[in-house]
Amino acid sequence: MKVLIVEDEKTLAYEMEEFLKKNFYHCDLAHSFDHGVQQLALNQYDFILIDLGLPDGDGLGILKNAKKNNPDAAYIIITARTNLKDRISGLDLGADDYLAKPFYLLELHSRMQAIARRKFNITESLIELGEFGVDIQKRIVSFKDEQIELSRKEFDLLSYLLLHKGRVLTRIQLSEHIWGTFVNDDYDSNYIDAHIKNIRRKLNAFAATDWLETVRGVGYRIKK
Amino acid sequence: MKLSSKLTLFIAGSKLVTVLLFILVLPYLVKEIANQHTNFTLRQQQKKVMAIVHKNGLDDYLQGESSYGSYTLLKEEFIAFSPSAANVQIDTIKDSQRLIEGDTLNYRILSATFKYADKNYLLEIGKNTSISQYHKPLQRFALYGLITLIAMTMLIDLIFIRIIIQPLSSIIKTKLVNNDFPFRAEQLPVPTSTSDFKYLDDSLRLLMTQINDAFYKEREFTSNASHELMTPITILQNKMENLLDEEGLSDESAIAIVEMMKTVDRLKKITSSLLLISRIENEQYIRKEHVIPLQLFEEIIEEIKHRLEDKNISIKLNIAGDMEFQHVNRDLIYQLFFNLIHNAIKFNRQDGQITITGVTTADGCFQVQVSDTGIGIPKEDLPFIFNRFTKTNLSSQVGYGLGLAIVKSIAAYHAIKIAVESDIGEGTTFTLIFKFKTK
Repeated sequence: MKVLIVEDEKTLAYEMEEFLKKNFYHCDLAHSFDHGVQQLALNQYDFILIDLGLPDGDGLGILKNAKKNNPDAAYIIITARTNLKDRISGLDLGADDYLAKPFYLLELHSRMQAIARRKFNITESLIELGEFGVDIQKRIVSFKDEQIELSRKEFDLLSYLLLHKGRVLTRIQLSEHIWGTFVNDDYDSNYIDAHIKNIRRKLNAFAATDWLETVRGVGYRIKK
Repeated sequence: MKLSSKLTLFIAGSKLVTVLLFILVLPYLVKEIANQHTNFTLRQQQKKVMAIVHKNGLDDYLQGESSYGSYTLLKEEFIAFSPSAANVQIDTIKDSQRLIEGDTLNYRILSATFKYADKNYLLEIGKNTSISQYHKPLQRFALYGLITLIAMTMLIDLIFIRIIIQPLSSIIKTKLVNNDFPFRAEQLPVPTSTSDFKYLDDSLRLLMTQINDAFYKEREFTSNASHELMTPITILQNKMENLLDEEGLSDESAIAIVEMMKTVDRLKKITSSLLLISRIENEQYIRKEHVIPLQLFEEIIEEIKHRLEDKNISIKLNIAGDMEFQHVNRDLIYQLFFNLIHNAIKFNRQDGQITITGVTTADGCFQVQVSDTGIGIPKEDLPFIFNRFTKTNLSSQVGYGLGLAIVKSIAAYHAIKIAVESDIGEGTTFTLIFKFKTK
């Protein structure tokens, strides 16, 4: 899939590019409003990530502009302005999602995956996990034909790990995904352990869960 | 005491003293004026008598006798000639007593010697002063006149003081007493022709503008600074994420990166908290949602359940399901109660309790109380708990000291009155009073 990153902060754009390349996306970078408009006129993209705070123009203008040329692309607005007005006008102009700085690349990726599933009709939502099956759309974990009750948070945690299969996810990344970037002045990350413990306990009653790995001092990973 | 009252008292007092003094000296004054008048009359009469003596000769009076004396019917006045020693020269006016027909009477007497036909004579003209018939009415009249005059001037003074002082009271009223901070509207000058007041008013207006400017600058700075920090924090965060994903990373490096991520996360949370506060203060949130508190609390409890379970804290909700907060921003109200409940858990003891009570007060306002059975806040710390970066309960070593600052700014934004009571070792109760009426 092809991605255009419109971001004037070059370092940030490179980090995003590096991350997305590893996840098999093709990336183009644009560091200014004009450059972005130019790229959009020349190329077709699947994803367009737009920073609203560009030095030579408002990112919302790019969004408006790009919709003409790339009507089918998915748009994600990235901004440090979590202004309600911006958010509303961004979504009104047809943005698919809105990501506030600072964000984790993992979060960006899972948002992109979610949009892709929705927009490009990728329906392989049933994922095999050892002897378990996980339906991300229907939010069901099952062993053979039997459904397993997981709490909302537990399911969120499991599916997030699953989306980033093979990667170690830190407790901070996990807790930010589960409890949001909600301003909350201490770590919830310790509670991740409790949830993982619960997940393991519930699943172990059916079969071994050695695909869910604890990486000491770092976090958790679902083995590939 | 108000300036106008002080001035009124002073003026009344000084007038009273003047009147008293005047009343004291009045009899003496009246007497003095009467004497002057009598003296003048006596001199006139002397002139007349002497003119007659020159014209008609002294014998006109003496009629051959050696002396002459005559008085009016009521003994009010008398006139007398008598021979006197050759070498005596007198010309005086004095008070003295005379015995006339068995009555001792007070007279003011003009005594003057003169020469006539080589003989010395003494002329005496007397005017009775014992019947001072003018004195009493004169005094009374003067007194009444004075009192009327004083009353009139006092009334004029009062009115005038009031008019003169009026700009001062309106300066106090508009600039000092009835003014919420930050001062909202452009401050209008108070119309006055008194230069002192004008100066005071101008200085106050200048000060208010300066304070407002400083305040808004500080606000803007916080907003800009935290805003500007967001991009670098994103870069750091993303760099570490990429680093952590690198092939062949040693375990030690991975742990070190995670530690760094925690630090960046901390930085991020402080910055977003500051940004949130400045956004609230800049009124960037819309307040038009209606929120059912019972639902809100249930949602928060669901979100925070893991913490409750961790300490085995039970939570009680005493709130009617039909209560409703009106014209609020749901996210902010959520954040407010989240922070309060979060603190109630954080500073609670193992197996503790949290009670959330919602009632309608007697005056129709909605009141919510969040009580815990936690460690409590020392009395001396209570005034500071809502300040930014103030951390009491340092033993717990958690938080950045912004949770309650956020609570305070959200409460202020929604005109919610917030009060806190605490007993060490017993617990803390936060009371929130919503100004709007409940349904």
